[in-house]
Amino acid sequence: MATATEIQAALEPEAAQVKVVFTTTDEDIQLPESKRQLLVPAAFPNYCNPQDIRRYGLSRILNSESMLDTPTAIPFDFLVNGTFLRTTLEDYLKENGLSFESQVTLQYVRSLIPPVYEASF
Amino acid sequence: TTHITDTGRQLRDFSESLQQWTEFQTKTHSLSLSLTSQLRLILTPSQSTKLSGSYRTGKRLNIKKIIPYIASSYKRDKIWMRRSIPTKRAYQILLCVDDSKSMGESSSGNLALESLVMVSRALTMLEVGQVGVMGFGADVFTAHDLVEPFATHEAGARVLQNFSFDQDGTDICLLIRQTIDRFRLARQQSATRGSEDLWQLSLILSDGLTPSSAHERIRRLLREAMEERVMIVFIVMDDAGKKKGDSVLELKEAKFSKDEMGNSRVVIERYLDTFPFQYYLIVHHLEDLPGALAGLLRTWFAEVNS
Ligand SMILES: [Mg+2]
Repeated sequence: MATATEIQAALEPEAAQVKVVFTTTDEDIQLPESKRQLLVPAAFPNYCNPQDIRRYGLSRILNSESMLDTPTAIPFDFLVNGTFLRTTLEDYLKENGLSFESQVTLQYVRSLIPPVYEASF
Repeated sequence: TTHITDTGRQLRDFSESLQQWTEFQTKTHSLSLSLTSQLRLILTPSQSTKLSGSYRTGKRLNIKKIIPYIASSYKRDKIWMRRSIPTKRAYQILLCVDDSKSMGESSSGNLALESLVMVSRALTMLEVGQVGVMGFGADVFTAHDLVEPFATHEAGARVLQNFSFDQDGTDICLLIRQTIDRFRLARQQSATRGSEDLWQLSLILSDGLTPSSAHERIRRLLREAMEERVMIVFIVMDDAGKKKGDSVLELKEAKFSKDEMGNSRVVIERYLDTFPFQYYLIVHHLEDLPGALAGLLRTWFAEVNS
């Protein structure tokens, strides 16, 4: 007999993850070594908010209590291979001929531009 | 130089693979011997642990026979059980090596190939049955068929030729599906051999990374495997030489979930918390593998025999 979670799992599209390594040059917002590697959602199945797999979602992950645990959220920008990440991680991988198998190094910096909150839920 | 198989996969150079096989075999020889001697005790028991049968003398009384014994005025006196001679066991063992890119980007790929050489050598020396090798990633392929002999350096080199860690995905659901199907066919093909007790065992050598949204589907396939008496052991390659903090034991995953109020929240969990395999080992050093694998198989045999 299939349980409710099993049925749900069968119906849900596969959520792709990618392993990222967070780095920064800012000493005051450094993560401990054990928290620098993280699997994050990278593609977007229909239950996921499109913002979750872009800069804004990554910024929320970094600010969360299990990561930097910032008292007030710091908006972050992410540099990947020297350029700012402006697309979803999935699009970044595709454009660079990479797959979800690749590890992506993301350098986070305090954002100079105020974040644009798009209401999509 | 590379070669293309009839299914379109690229093969690495044969002489290079032969050299690699020889090198790994030399390096892991003493570990293979150690694994062989440990597995011999586990896989080929010389004495059954179970007491059974009806005899006039024996090791232990069969309680069910006592009342008929008294009722028959002590005539039906075959009331003792003895240790029975175990049935000869035959094994079909598949070694499944992760050929995905994530293996090549870390040192896991190298550790997996060394483990493959070490374990396959040990199993060949044991002569307990058939040994096959499969590769998996986005796709699944056979690197060495179960029915082929696997005793020479050349056979080993032909296996290694298949692995270049270049597949763009790690589909463990597909691997288990095909493992079950392959074993089902192999069981039918060996049915003619009669009285032997056939055991089917699969060892997966991988970095353990597969989308966690697939974990529930994997769990369902593992139940199907168990119903078909296929045992699957997952060996996580977690090389201690990787940089600090980069162990699968510490790896976490981020998810977005909605709370009762419908607000989106960030949830961070340990990746291994949803890992679907009941029988798994984490190997940091190759030297850990013989003892850990033997220990796990010993536990498993104790469970199925009880
Ligand atoms: Mg992989």
